[in-house]
Amino acid sequence: MIKKISICFIFSILFFQVTVAQKEKDSLIIDLHLKFGKQDLKLDEKYVSERKDTLQIEVFKFYLSNISIQYVDKSIYNQRDSYHLIDIENQNSLQIPINKMNKRAIEKISFTIGIDSLTSVSGALQGDLDPTKGMYWAWQSGYINMKIEGKSSSCNTRENEFQFHIGGYLKPHYSMRTVILEPRAITSNIAIDVDIATLFSELALSKTNSIMIPGKQAMEIADFSVKMFQIESK
Amino acid sequence: MKSKYIVLFGILVSLAFAIKETNPIYFKRPKSWPKPHYDFSKNPLTEEGFQLGRNLFYDPILSRDNTISCASCHLQATGFTHVDHSLSHGIDGKIGTRNSMALMNLAWSKSFMWDGGINHLEVQPLNPITNPVEMDETLEHVVKKLQKSDKYQRLFENAYGDSKITGQRILKALTQFELLLISSNSKYDKVIRKEAIFTDQEQKGYHLFKTNCVSCHNEPLFTSEKFENNGLATDTTINDLGRMKITDKKEDYLRFKVPTLRNIQFTFPYMHDGRFKTLTEVIKHYNSTENVRNLPKELAKPMNLSDNDRVDLVAFLKTLTDNEFLFDKRFSFPKE
Repeated sequence: MIKKISICFIFSILFFQVTVAQKEKDSLIIDLHLKFGKQDLKLDEKYVSERKDTLQIEVFKFYLSNISIQYVDKSIYNQRDSYHLIDIENQNSLQIPINKMNKRAIEKISFTIGIDSLTSVSGALQGDLDPTKGMYWAWQSGYINMKIEGKSSSCNTRENEFQFHIGGYLKPHYSMRTVILEPRAITSNIAIDVDIATLFSELALSKTNSIMIPGKQAMEIADFSVKMFQIESK
Repeated sequence: MKSKYIVLFGILVSLAFAIKETNPIYFKRPKSWPKPHYDFSKNPLTEEGFQLGRNLFYDPILSRDNTISCASCHLQATGFTHVDHSLSHGIDGKIGTRNSMALMNLAWSKSFMWDGGINHLEVQPLNPITNPVEMDETLEHVVKKLQKSDKYQRLFENAYGDSKITGQRILKALTQFELLLISSNSKYDKVIRKEAIFTDQEQKGYHLFKTNCVSCHNEPLFTSEKFENNGLATDTTINDLGRMKITDKKEDYLRFKVPTLRNIQFTFPYMHDGRFKTLTEVIKHYNSTENVRNLPKELAKPMNLSDNDRVDLVAFLKTLTDNEFLFDKRFSFPKE
């Protein structure tokens, strides 16, 4: 028994050191910058949308999944088990490591916003997909792909609140969306702006302020959400 | 540097526990039954997982104020449903809009709840745990409460090799308990296996059942797993849309899941809103559907059973009672 444990112990030290070393050398990082227009997005700060709605954000969470990188030489890397819960309240979540050797130039990066239908029917999952993360519906199975909550004086609701819980994995209300970006042949970290102002420029908060179920309205917001993602312009 | 040692220590501890073995349970499919729908490969049954799930099932710690457990609305002796209440009540005495469903043979179910809104057995408990009139709790908070309990630290360690408590582990353990709630030893089953024989009355009732009921309540599970409008008038105090609420499709208006008839003798009251107290009332309803619109073809003609037929049919339905299941000590409140 003791012998068995000590062998495991030695192996785990070796394994640990190898993996740490590997990570430092190879890791490429997707670096997300949450913005409201040109400003950095901060919770509870007041912003004015293009439609002149004054608003503040209290919750901003979404799933970024199925990351795929296409290199200039046309080779493709698909990240395995690629489900990342991005949360403005968890700074670590804004940097997604891609553990892959990458001296080559990147031509395209694609990912999806939300959770695919197969994963949505796969029962209780772990990690970022664990239902304790507050991104799972209880009355009807399925993940909330994107959660945006806040306040705006334009909303004639209780405490001027707006709530958008965007999800749905069944057709015709399958709300996962694909984003494709072209970072112009870079080899270093990929900086992506996520500008929530683009979403609010499409939305009239006085009319649309509560979406909590899959359906047509959720599909529209999902369409708008794709436009939030841009390669950072320097 | 310090954190590196903590991680190493963690790996060492988990390895030491990984060596501890669990006792697998073989899922026995009753003879001539179809293949279960549940994929056991992703949640292999073990005695320790089952016992953890059983403890969770009977523990009010799952509710906001630690008063309501799964068993509050799902009592074993009545086929794991809430007897005597048309609409089930939960936390603070609040009343829901539906009658709690009986729990048995869930490994064969493809969807859950009266409206089929739940697509997988493992995520079903999220519904009652978070429902404001049932347990009004969050899974995240349940994790925190369980982490403070020595008993659960031990039970999770037994089941999973380490005492880490996650939402996934809670749900998979509850699922293990529910998967093993198999009812397949009623008199009916014994007759089919040629270990018993029906009385004349039961035999007549079985014949009536095969003519009038079996198209939706298919043997051996006694449910087609489909959603149907069975002609009940809408209760205007609730206005329950049924499956349409989930699918947003007009044709699903007033459709509800076809429930199993196993142990039906004890799962009263009946229907999604518990409006009928007795099987006689249920049969009378199916006897009088001639003026109801939009019925499925199976119910297009009323049954027109005579009083004698009705008595015979009830006699058959009572042969679906499985006392071994209803009084199986393995499914009862876990005493330590």
